[in-house]
Amino acid sequence: MKIGLEVHVALPTKSKLFCSCSAEAEEPNTAICPICLGFPGSKPMLNEAAVTSALGIANALHCKINRNISFVRKVYFYPDLPKCYQITQTDGSVGGEGYLEIEGKKVRIRRVQIEEDPAQIVREGLLTLLDFNRSGTPLVEIVTEPDITSEEELRSFIANLRSILYYLGVDINKEIKADLNISLADIRVEVKNVTGIKSLIEATRFEIERQTQLIKEGSPIARETRGYNEKSKLTESLREKETDEEYGYIYEPDLTTFDINGMGFRQAVYIGEIAEKLAQGSDLNPKTIREITMLDSRSLELINKFKAEYKLRSIVHAIERYKKYGGEEAPSDDVIEKMTKLVEEDKIITRETVQDLKAGKQVAIEYSKLSGDQLDKLIRDFLDKNPKIVAEYKRNSKTINLIIGKITEKNGLHPKDVAKRVVEILSGY
Amino acid sequence: MASHIREFLGHEKPSDYYSKLAEELERTNSEYHAFNVIKKDTEAKNQVPFSTKANICVKGVETTAGSKMLRGYVPPFNATVVERMLKEGSFSFIGETNMDEFGFGTFGINTEVPARNAFDSRYAAGGSSSGSAVATALLKYHVAIAESTGGSISTPAALNGVVGFTPTYGAVSRYGLIDYANSLDKIGIMARSSDDARGVFDVIRGRDNYDVTCAIEKITNNKKGKLFVIEELLEKADPKIRSEFERLLDKLGKEYEIKTISMNILSDAIEPYYIIAMAEASTNLAKYNGYKYGFQYGEFNRRYNDFFTEARSNFGMEAKRRIILGTFIRSESVKARYYTKALMIRQMIINEMGKVLKDGFVISPTLPIPTPKIADVEKLTPVQNYALDVFTIPPSIGGFPHLTFPYAYVNEMPIGAQIITEQANDYALLDFSSKWEESFQYKYKHNIGSL
Repeated sequence: MKIGLEVHVALPTKSKLFCSCSAEAEEPNTAICPICLGFPGSKPMLNEAAVTSALGIANALHCKINRNISFVRKVYFYPDLPKCYQITQTDGSVGGEGYLEIEGKKVRIRRVQIEEDPAQIVREGLLTLLDFNRSGTPLVEIVTEPDITSEEELRSFIANLRSILYYLGVDINKEIKADLNISLADIRVEVKNVTGIKSLIEATRFEIERQTQLIKEGSPIARETRGYNEKSKLTESLREKETDEEYGYIYEPDLTTFDINGMGFRQAVYIGEIAEKLAQGSDLNPKTIREITMLDSRSLELINKFKAEYKLRSIVHAIERYKKYGGEEAPSDDVIEKMTKLVEEDKIITRETVQDLKAGKQVAIEYSKLSGDQLDKLIRDFLDKNPKIVAEYKRNSKTINLIIGKITEKNGLHPKDVAKRVVEILSGY
Repeated sequence: MASHIREFLGHEKPSDYYSKLAEELERTNSEYHAFNVIKKDTEAKNQVPFSTKANICVKGVETTAGSKMLRGYVPPFNATVVERMLKEGSFSFIGETNMDEFGFGTFGINTEVPARNAFDSRYAAGGSSSGSAVATALLKYHVAIAESTGGSISTPAALNGVVGFTPTYGAVSRYGLIDYANSLDKIGIMARSSDDARGVFDVIRGRDNYDVTCAIEKITNNKKGKLFVIEELLEKADPKIRSEFERLLDKLGKEYEIKTISMNILSDAIEPYYIIAMAEASTNLAKYNGYKYGFQYGEFNRRYNDFFTEARSNFGMEAKRRIILGTFIRSESVKARYYTKALMIRQMIINEMGKVLKDGFVISPTLPIPTPKIADVEKLTPVQNYALDVFTIPPSIGGFPHLTFPYAYVNEMPIGAQIITEQANDYALLDFSSKWEESFQYKYKHNIGSL
């Protein structure tokens, strides 16, 4: 099975790609000008913020970055396209030949390109209405090679892409549009314009089942373009496709080539690497940590600001505990923010804390304070009762994190206090 | 030498000067059809009249680029050149001039009512900036903002005996120019003297945020001692034109070293030019489909494809030809053979001509034939017609500045020669022709607006 994706997401810029109209207007046809309406005589200007943003994405997807970028005209006739050509990119795109890692496998990225969104078509009864507010807003299209081989991998791909894009200011939870290419046999079937992560996965699942069934029956699979119906959750044939569509690309002569040298762009945040780093300092496996860090949109950003190893661990544990005591329910943005504050202030999160957080109560729990002798006794007791763990520590010094974790959690102690003593006491064992 | 602008600004004018001028233009226009729009209610006091080619947007004035498809299009903004002319204060807009539809033509006949030569209305005005040239040859005090893609300034200027100056690509903003072929389109100037052209050039040129390709700020004046004549091109000229041109070279030979050189690549300049021009034109014309601006088709109950097809049948014959050829050229199966190759040849021409132009100017006749009658032009096949751009295409495809100046009158019709220089050396051309004008007497049949 081969699945390839063309993912479209909106770039987070205030103004449109080729003019200074707002990209965020709501009242229909209020953010328009001769440029985004394609009036005769108007010419595009390039919004550098969109280029910067797209470069960040290409870089995060390990693409080769083109020093000189250029644009092309993709010509087709449709009422939502004011110039009847879309300004997009092919060879001169911001980047290409990259990859996105999913569980030890690389899904190759063919190209990351900038393009303008057409106007929005609104159907009202027999009328077709056009809202040009969207015309010319910047999009980035991420084109993968057909390297995804299961629904599971598609989920991982989307999850990893989501976190990478999120830290570059693009939230695909809010909006994502994709074209899917799925071939179980050697016939390529395209599913166009699937909107939303949920639909994307459902459309894929349906299409895998449909093609599997056809193969079982010995029926031919048609080379065609299909659409996804969100209500029926089915894909439907739109048109048979004998040849590739003809768009008559030429270079966009109004923009020439654009030298990106010297343009700064945001560095990537790789969830996989962060999960790895967290896992090294804790007794949790990388997959669990990745799951935790993917809980919601803000968690990674919040977590990632902790530079001290033990605090990182504390928050990861806190999130895990929240899930454990909270009925496997993921903490909301709000709760994660509260928990990170507690961790920042060196406070510990217990079963009670979680219950309070869930109830929306104010939480402020102090660490237990023990005298030096009391603490030492507690540690010795634990070590005496757990000779296996001590033996494990002698083989692998990282086991110290497990020991600290167990002692602090049980007794509501500050990990830093415990850590100091544990090291010293262990040296006598 | 003679600046008509300065002369005009220094003279007292009667209070009804501009209204009388509009009336007289209106009268003359029924014979010469130089103008599509004549502005009547001008508030000008003591400003030099200027016209714009009908593909340059003027806020509030119907701007059709000579096409039925744009009938009724009133731009809500001024082109940068218009904005700069008005802001400068010495110029007053008097109207929009006739042209071949979207600039598609060498003689000005590809429009509903063609402009006619100011020296004899039976003759072709030249194109595509036909009206700009005719208006310049009719009006005593006036400058024209014209536009050229492959010779649309040089050719009509030569046929009407005026100065036609096409600046370096990228020296003048194209914002507000209704596109023909964006990588080749250049806004330029026609005037009755080189000094006037220079005056306007300094007003309109320079960077513009609204046109990314307009990036040239510094214009040089590197004088050249040599004049190159390109053998392969001169061979294409009619014997009559050739002998007149050789007489011109004899005159210029007193001051310049004249050298005949061979530049093989220029024998192959017309094809890549038309390939690039048509490919780009066919995309630029995609937006005209009868419901946003200009011509309104109105039958909204039809399917999209039927609606577009019907609405787009209003293009003229030459426009349809270029849309079809341009679309073919862009198609996947032949693109590498035509479009991609044409882009490569363009780069080779730029490199080779650039080398030659470092050492001297290139000079040639502007048109290979004497001014034809309109009736004769109508008989030409498209390919015969395109071949007549042989002298104007090399500088056009390379983006090199060029200037045509009148140098003789044969049977009372003017003949022009064209000189080319390296990119951004535009002042050297204006200086060259200014010097030429010291010993040359312009002749005109009309001097509308004389003081």
